[in-house]
Amino acid sequence: MILADLAITFGVLSIIAFGGMPAVMPEMQRLVVEVKGWTTAEEFIQLFAIAQAAPGPNVLIVSLVGWRAAGFAGAVVALLAVCGPAAVLSWWIADLWERFKESPWRLAIQRAIAPLVVGLTLSGGYVLCTPSTPDWRLWAIAAGSVTAFLTLKINPLWILAAGGTVGAFLL
Amino acid sequence: MDVTPPRKLSELFLGFLAIGARSFGGVMPWAHRTMVEERRWLTPADFAETIGLCQFLPGPNIGNASIVLGKRWFGVTGSIVAFLGLMALPFIWVMALGALYLEWAFHPTVRAVVTGVGAAGAGLFMGTALKLGRALVRRPAALMLVAACFLSVGVGRFSMLIVLPVSAAIGVFFARRGWL
Repeated sequence: MILADLAITFGVLSIIAFGGMPAVMPEMQRLVVEVKGWTTAEEFIQLFAIAQAAPGPNVLIVSLVGWRAAGFAGAVVALLAVCGPAAVLSWWIADLWERFKESPWRLAIQRAIAPLVVGLTLSGGYVLCTPSTPDWRLWAIAAGSVTAFLTLKINPLWILAAGGTVGAFLL
Repeated sequence: MDVTPPRKLSELFLGFLAIGARSFGGVMPWAHRTMVEERRWLTPADFAETIGLCQFLPGPNIGNASIVLGKRWFGVTGSIVAFLGLMALPFIWVMALGALYLEWAFHPTVRAVVTGVGAAGAGLFMGTALKLGRALVRRPAALMLVAACFLSVGVGRFSMLIVLPVSAAIGVFFARRGWL
């Protein structure tokens, strides 16, 4: 049953998405494309693009994947699955976190997670740009995007628009 | 600064609806504008603290923020209402855009444009990571963990279900020794 499969797959992603959606993007791509075959690698980067360009949380890529896999019900199930377990955990931990404010373990965990989030988010970008074999054109666009993001103070939406324009000529 | 939390569930719903509907190019700036500047539900410090917690928790950061803030103000009902308000319009936008894309996906230029947007989006991820990584530059143990995660998950395509627990355990060990 594909809806149950969507619910379990995205439910697991929800629990391991420390640092938010970017950090879990490489695992999502691996599961959706390589393990489940719900989309191709090329289609995955396109669904990712749509979710980035639309207003709202970038987590909505899961709805597009769910929709491609199982129609409208799939879109709803995937979104609830990726938010649900994390939501329950947040609900629970919010007060606990306050209580352990001074605990050395809390500080240790916070410090331990920071480099993991950096490494995993980098992986997400790398995986998206490497659908099957490394494609220099995708890398060129991504490199331009990184440079613009780090040097210019503009809405990222402009960077996405520029990427699309370059893509029209290059890809 | 005087702050007044939302008094009615409808206020909470409309506030999160406004965040979701307008957040082109990233949700957090709009969340700040809506809740801190326009509606004055939270002080800037309180906002930063809440978002900090939600960034630490697994799952979508702003989704978690809707749960935590909804709970603070109205309990379970508040969490559900804030979450639905946040997601309602973006869900419709993204599905509409997805349907539109599928109509046109046969066209090679359309596919090229959308893939270009995706590559730029991937670049934004890497840019965000580099920005976060600046704070770690002088800590060799942290850089080692960054490299290990990138090589295993990004290049090696190992499952995060294996990499995450192992690297988190190493990270906590490093942190307890004061290396991070």
